[in-house]
Amino acid sequence: MTVPESGLSLFRVLTRATKSADSDCSEVEAEVVRLFDEHRTRLLRYVFSIGLSVHDGEEIVQDVFLALFRHLQLGRPRDNLRGWIFRVAHNLALKEREASHKRLDSAELDEVVAARHVDLSPSPEQQLAFSQRQQRLLAALYALPSRDQFCLHLRAEGLRYREIAEVLDMSLGAVSNSLSRSVARLERADRE
Amino acid sequence: MRANDSHLSDEELLLAADGELPLTRMNELSEHLAACWDCRARSGQLESAISELVAVRHAALDPKLPPDIGRRALLKAHLSEQAAQSGAGGWSLFFRGLAFRRGLAITAVSALLIVLATVAVSYRLRTQSSVLKLARLPLEPSRKLTPGATRQVSLREVCSSQPEDGSARVIPVSVQREVFQEYGMDGAPPKDFEVDFLITPELGGSNDIHNLWPEPYYSTVWNARVKDELEDRLHEMVCNGELDLGTAQRDISTDWIVAYKKYFHTDRPL
Repeated sequence: MTVPESGLSLFRVLTRATKSADSDCSEVEAEVVRLFDEHRTRLLRYVFSIGLSVHDGEEIVQDVFLALFRHLQLGRPRDNLRGWIFRVAHNLALKEREASHKRLDSAELDEVVAARHVDLSPSPEQQLAFSQRQQRLLAALYALPSRDQFCLHLRAEGLRYREIAEVLDMSLGAVSNSLSRSVARLERADRE
Repeated sequence: MRANDSHLSDEELLLAADGELPLTRMNELSEHLAACWDCRARSGQLESAISELVAVRHAALDPKLPPDIGRRALLKAHLSEQAAQSGAGGWSLFFRGLAFRRGLAITAVSALLIVLATVAVSYRLRTQSSVLKLARLPLEPSRKLTPGATRQVSLREVCSSQPEDGSARVIPVSVQREVFQEYGMDGAPPKDFEVDFLITPELGGSNDIHNLWPEPYYSTVWNARVKDELEDRLHEMVCNGELDLGTAQRDISTDWIVAYKKYFHTDRPL
């Protein structure tokens, strides 16, 4: 096949441009996949702990990393990526939880959705495996206000105070306050 | 007991344990801790509660973690798709379409979709069968099985009790099993139910099986959290003298949802 000289150079320029855009993209893709590997388990555990079903939890985690890809592709700030990831997951999870509550309002499908949800409450078989001490602790955990529970779960998944503050839109002081209050309450319940 | 003002607060102890203190304060703290057994003991208590919490979270949540069946690959496929759509646009999009890499990606996506569809169908079949089993379960306590039972308490005892912190709610596992059994729930593991008091102990309810029922935990409109609010409200009203203890017990045991609507003047949970 013969290609006119000018056409050929245009072709070369275009392929070169595409190649460089391609490698930028695939770098970002690789980074997102790396972050997925790093955070998937913790994120899933967090969204389960705040009441999402396994199915919804997995969907949300996928959505989080697609959003992260766009975030990085647009060159948005990346100084607190873990906080960013958990923040998006937290917000999506609460939205999903609300939506499923709303869907229930109209329907008699309460039980159907109830069956889809998982949370920290153990099944009777599991309860057999839980010590009295652990059951007391779970009960005390549930008795905490939801924001305090969020803080505690995020801390348990390894987030620093600064990151928790970003996820929940709180001040550092408020995070520290909430955590110490909750731990003291759990400790009290643990001792009794 | 640590009454002395110069002792460290729980908050500072936790900040120190979490490595969240500035270095200078951290040094002061370690000096204090080295000298003060009270604070060290307190710090140990907090740490012990934390490790117990960590253990219980893992025990409860880890069995629910699904295996990574194709999720990573699915994400990769979605990412390539998005990269192609949002990439440099125009010409490069055209070339991308031709690129061998894309061809591979498309093949991979289709293969993956087939695998995922199979997994999804089998998953759905499995969850549906458990849904069917659970769908017949009660959302409200049965009057026959759980009419409510109280213990002998005076108003003073009801109102002087320490704020509820969870330990009062512990029901022996054997009794919990009995409750699930009498409600016919021993076949399907009711993950989303907790055995709860119909008349809460704070209102003089007893832990007799007639006062216990399997309450749906999270996902329904009228769930355990809503009932907790009602209990707090009734307790407050009883102790303020606005409501008679017997009436509170009767209302919550007759139909707690009706009672909620009555005492919160609303048709749905606030």
